[in-house]
Amino acid sequence: MSERIEILISGYGGQGVVRIGQILGQAAVYQGLYTTMLISHGTETRGGYVRSQVVISDEFIDSPVVERPDYFCAFSAIAYQMFKGLCGPQGLILHNPDLVSPDPLLEAGHWAIRAESLAERELGNAVFANVVFLGALSSRLALLSAEHIAAAIRERLPERFHEKNLRAFALGQGLKVQVQP
Amino acid sequence: MKRTFDTGNAAITEGAIRAGCSLFAGYPITPATEIAENMSRRLPQVGGYYLQAEDENAALHICNGGAIGGLKAMTATSGPGFILFADAFGWAVSSEVPVVIVNSQRVGPVSGITGAPGQGEFYLSRYLTHGGNFETIVLAPSSVQEAFRLTVRAFYLAERFRTPVIVLADQMVTDGWETLELPESEAEFTAMGLEVVPRRIHPGPEFYPASDAIDIPPVVLGHNTGAACSDWTPTDRGHDTEDVTWQHKHAWRLIHKIRNHRELIDEAEEWFLDDDPDVILVAYGTPSRVVQSAVRAARREGLRVGGIRLISLWPFQDRMFSRTATYLTVELNWDGQLVREVQRAAAAGSSVHFWGRCGELPSSGELLETVQKLLKNEPLERDGWRTEKW
Repeated sequence: MSERIEILISGYGGQGVVRIGQILGQAAVYQGLYTTMLISHGTETRGGYVRSQVVISDEFIDSPVVERPDYFCAFSAIAYQMFKGLCGPQGLILHNPDLVSPDPLLEAGHWAIRAESLAERELGNAVFANVVFLGALSSRLALLSAEHIAAAIRERLPERFHEKNLRAFALGQGLKVQVQP
Repeated sequence: MKRTFDTGNAAITEGAIRAGCSLFAGYPITPATEIAENMSRRLPQVGGYYLQAEDENAALHICNGGAIGGLKAMTATSGPGFILFADAFGWAVSSEVPVVIVNSQRVGPVSGITGAPGQGEFYLSRYLTHGGNFETIVLAPSSVQEAFRLTVRAFYLAERFRTPVIVLADQMVTDGWETLELPESEAEFTAMGLEVVPRRIHPGPEFYPASDAIDIPPVVLGHNTGAACSDWTPTDRGHDTEDVTWQHKHAWRLIHKIRNHRELIDEAEEWFLDDDPDVILVAYGTPSRVVQSAVRAARREGLRVGGIRLISLWPFQDRMFSRTATYLTVELNWDGQLVREVQRAAAAGSSVHFWGRCGELPSSGELLETVQKLLKNEPLERDGWRTEKW
């Protein structure tokens, strides 16, 4: 049986939703895996709603639709409300508790990550929060190596931001999983 | 082979460049803007020309002009721009201009929803101009990799048939990101099954043969060919005429040069049709990938379900529907378009049903549920709407 990992990332435009998907997809390509990413968005470039659906597999991916996310990065309360229902008991929702209040009725696990304040404190800018999330996510993704994700960060982000993004990635990787039932 | 992670828009751009495209004229529109952006960067690198037109009608006219000036040309748009091609498309058909048109379908009508996929131009792509008396070639990619291949193919068919060829994509294909393999040498290009017909020039004086012959290079304006390449019915020398005898010869050529060479155009993919399945799902473009997923899921449950993915849409492949079965088309529209053509083509005794939605792909779970309803002869109502009334 092949392995198929479904990742949903959603938030506002400008939060790096698409960028995280690009890095994951690029890393999957480096690793010799198949990957797809669907992007949905409103007309606004910044501030509007954005969703990336990423699928990674060791065989050709037929449906690129994330129907039952293994991981859901909820970057905003609206995104959380829209897509939390897709997550089954096997799903893990990574969220910022300053923005998202977990639904106690949901069977999926929740992992609270104060990525914005962490990025602000450690790197001087909350803009790196998405890569903190990526680091945290990668610590759970056995099929993607951290080296390939780091290489993808270098490929997909401007060079002058490499150092801080790699530090943000390491910060996320170092977070302990605290799954709330 | 260069293995990358990129969009369908990037794949279409690379396909065009590798097919020898040297002119792009277009007007930016989501979700096809990136094709224009990419072409504006790539064409100068290969000695080609990029023009931003004042609107889509002008864009295709510029492409037509470039093509009858000896260049391979392409334009790209989405629904609201596609409809504006009506005039220039007719010109390309009638004057037999090889040109490639990409339409990334979004939600309509009019501006509809920009960043969400639709499939509302199934029939419009067949009849993109008025007046009838012509046949159309339309190809529909369902992945980023296939968007690359079918763009190369579109240029190939446009040259051989001397006609505009439409690549009918959708927002998920053009905006979607996926593993993309690009050939890095001639040998790799050929090994992928790709072919290029270089632009050759017809010296005249004949403008077109009154037959279904293909592989006749297009006329280039000027050069003493005498061809007007105008909007009037042309004689075989390319002179304007209102003589109905010439109109017949011209129309028969436009129709039958394509209908009589279907073997170069027809393309489809089948899943699990060998045991004459009870239900056959039919789709094109991105929804077909969910269909493939649903068919596999159905087979795992022991249900006799198969699938057909149309890769070339027009001329319509009636032969794919020669089995008597229960057909279910899966489309990104609410009104049902492909379903009408499948009903026309389906073998006697078949029943044909429709599953549609706009702006969002179905889930394979939803399709599986629909198949189970069909197997139990239950009605396909959804949210109180009688979806079978198409």
